[in-house]
Amino acid sequence: MRLPRIFRTTPFRLTLLFLALFAASASAFLAYIYVATAGEATRRVDQLITREMRTLQSAYGRAGADALNQALIERAASERPYLYLLMRPDGTRISGSIEESPLDEFNGDPAWTSFRVTEFDVQGREINRPARGLQERLSGGEILFVGADVAEDEAYVVKIVRALWGAGALVIVLGLAGGVVVSRNVSRSMTGLNTVVDAVRNGDLTARAPVRGTRDELDELAVGLNEMLDRLERSMAGHKHAGDAIAHDLRSPLTRLRARLEASYLDLEAGRGDPEAAFAQAIEDTDGVLKTFGAVLAIARLQAAGTAPDPTLFDPADLAADICELYEPLCEDNGLDFKAERVRGLSIRANREFMAQALANLMDNAIKYTPQGGAIMLRVRRRSSGEVEFSVTDTGPGVPEADRSRVVERFVRLENSRNQPGAGLGLSLVVAVAEAHGGRVELSEGPGKVGEIGPGLRVAVIVPQAA
Amino acid sequence: MRILIVEDDLEAAAVMVRGLTESGHDCASAPDGVAGLDQARAGEFDVMIVDRMMPRMDGVTLVETLRREGDQTPVLFLSALGEINDRVDGLKAGGDDYLVKPYAFAELSARVEALARRRETGSVQTLLRVGDLEMDLIGRTVHRQGQEIDLQPREFQLLEFMMRHAGQAVTRTMLLEKVWEYHFDPQTNVIDVHISRLRSKIDKGFDRPMLQTVRGAGYRLDA
Repeated sequence: MRLPRIFRTTPFRLTLLFLALFAASASAFLAYIYVATAGEATRRVDQLITREMRTLQSAYGRAGADALNQALIERAASERPYLYLLMRPDGTRISGSIEESPLDEFNGDPAWTSFRVTEFDVQGREINRPARGLQERLSGGEILFVGADVAEDEAYVVKIVRALWGAGALVIVLGLAGGVVVSRNVSRSMTGLNTVVDAVRNGDLTARAPVRGTRDELDELAVGLNEMLDRLERSMAGHKHAGDAIAHDLRSPLTRLRARLEASYLDLEAGRGDPEAAFAQAIEDTDGVLKTFGAVLAIARLQAAGTAPDPTLFDPADLAADICELYEPLCEDNGLDFKAERVRGLSIRANREFMAQALANLMDNAIKYTPQGGAIMLRVRRRSSGEVEFSVTDTGPGVPEADRSRVVERFVRLENSRNQPGAGLGLSLVVAVAEAHGGRVELSEGPGKVGEIGPGLRVAVIVPQAA
Repeated sequence: MRILIVEDDLEAAAVMVRGLTESGHDCASAPDGVAGLDQARAGEFDVMIVDRMMPRMDGVTLVETLRREGDQTPVLFLSALGEINDRVDGLKAGGDDYLVKPYAFAELSARVEALARRRETGSVQTLLRVGDLEMDLIGRTVHRQGQEIDLQPREFQLLEFMMRHAGQAVTRTMLLEKVWEYHFDPQTNVIDVHISRLRSKIDKGFDRPMLQTVRGAGYRLDA
């Protein structure tokens, strides 16, 4: 038989465990109460009996057996709550208020016993009352038994024991009920999480766990799960987008390549054309396709990884100096005025290779889009926010404000740049690199429009400064 | 030069064998890591081209095993994995160079030549000489026909690399990797500009140009 679900949940099992621990400590607690109350009552009776025994013994010591016998008769007649029995050394009765000793065996040492006395009330009904007694041998060899009725004490003890049993039962019932309630609550939250996990396993990435706003661990788990799913969904969407984009962007150069090859083939068949040039063109086209492919792959990997691998600590000014050194001749050849401004002494923890590639892409773009006679400025500075900012500013045509958020997307190339080489992936990679370093990219206007020049574009990569 | 190609893509291996054979090399190939290890142990090779991902034994294990056995044959890893970590792993395992698929044959060929050359010039040199061009690696000076040529530090490094691989084609990617130590592909012709600067310094005013452009591949420094 399978237990109902509630009994199989982890919280319920934990409740049972705690209940067991709680019951154990409650038992110890109740046992203490028992000893302190019921045990105390028994001890009090024993003390009274012992005192009576001593009194009688001292009477015996002073005046002998007959005097003791006399005292017993007097005492039995009075309203004292004691039971007495005086016996000869062989155990036969001399006198007393009971007929025989409740002790079956007596070896002479003081002996305690609990027993019952039978009495008849006024209506002649038999009443059994609990009693307790002490039997001792007197110095003359006679045996004296002193007992006491403990019915009242016993009733008191029974009450206490009953109360303790009741309390124990209450502990267990309340504990179980609490456990069920707690595990129900926890189970309900867990069920929500499980439903989401099931849905995701079955391919539904849009499922999200309910967040109750209690800010407890389960809520935190739900929030964490949802964030993870958000990221996964974005990443999947990114991959899908990349797939679509690759298909789209590779199709056109591949089509062009195929058409060129076909044309060359026809030319060669007709005895015209230059096969070498055709092959060279075909290889160049193929390289273009491969380059696009490589760039898409690099972006996808960075986005999938989320963080840049192998970060090292370095001065951003050194990196900028390297990039300047690499690009300065190219700027000069293109008739561009190149300047660099580098604040030294900053430090960032980043993947140097990726950061270099990001800066190289920005420089590539700036050189590509800035007409001869323009200027390019590479800058490294510390923002007032404490972040490190790399920026490349050019005096090219710039990007209209409305398009700025769009150009960082993959494969987006503005209409007037279609005749330039490139696949439109440069800025996307810069963004991917910045994000992988916990940073961002900002696009803004360059130095402004002066005559035919400008307004230019300023692209900034902002990353946190290393602590 | 004897070259061992360990590659499970048989068509790619055949293209490599054909191209390298036409360049005058003696090629052997193995279709997986275990066969590659057997062949590498049996024969003397000048360079090995090893694919990273292969059945039975991957390229990294193959090279690690050979290196443990004391085989120092230069290895060029081929890989479809192009991340920085993969490259570092490959080089750590004992690879000497790393080429990401897909690659141009000219790139492969240039790198294989460069690896073989590196092995030949094992001893530490203080003077490089190519034709009438001389480079003093300690004094950091360059002379052509006794005439001193003033070079920027990076131009010096660039020329040093070209001189160490004189007579071989070196690709733009190789230059960017070995001289600038970047492993990405700039979109613009940034390397070409540096080469043309260097060319104007070492060839201008001399009757015979040394720095040649190799179509479809890169550059070559001829004596």
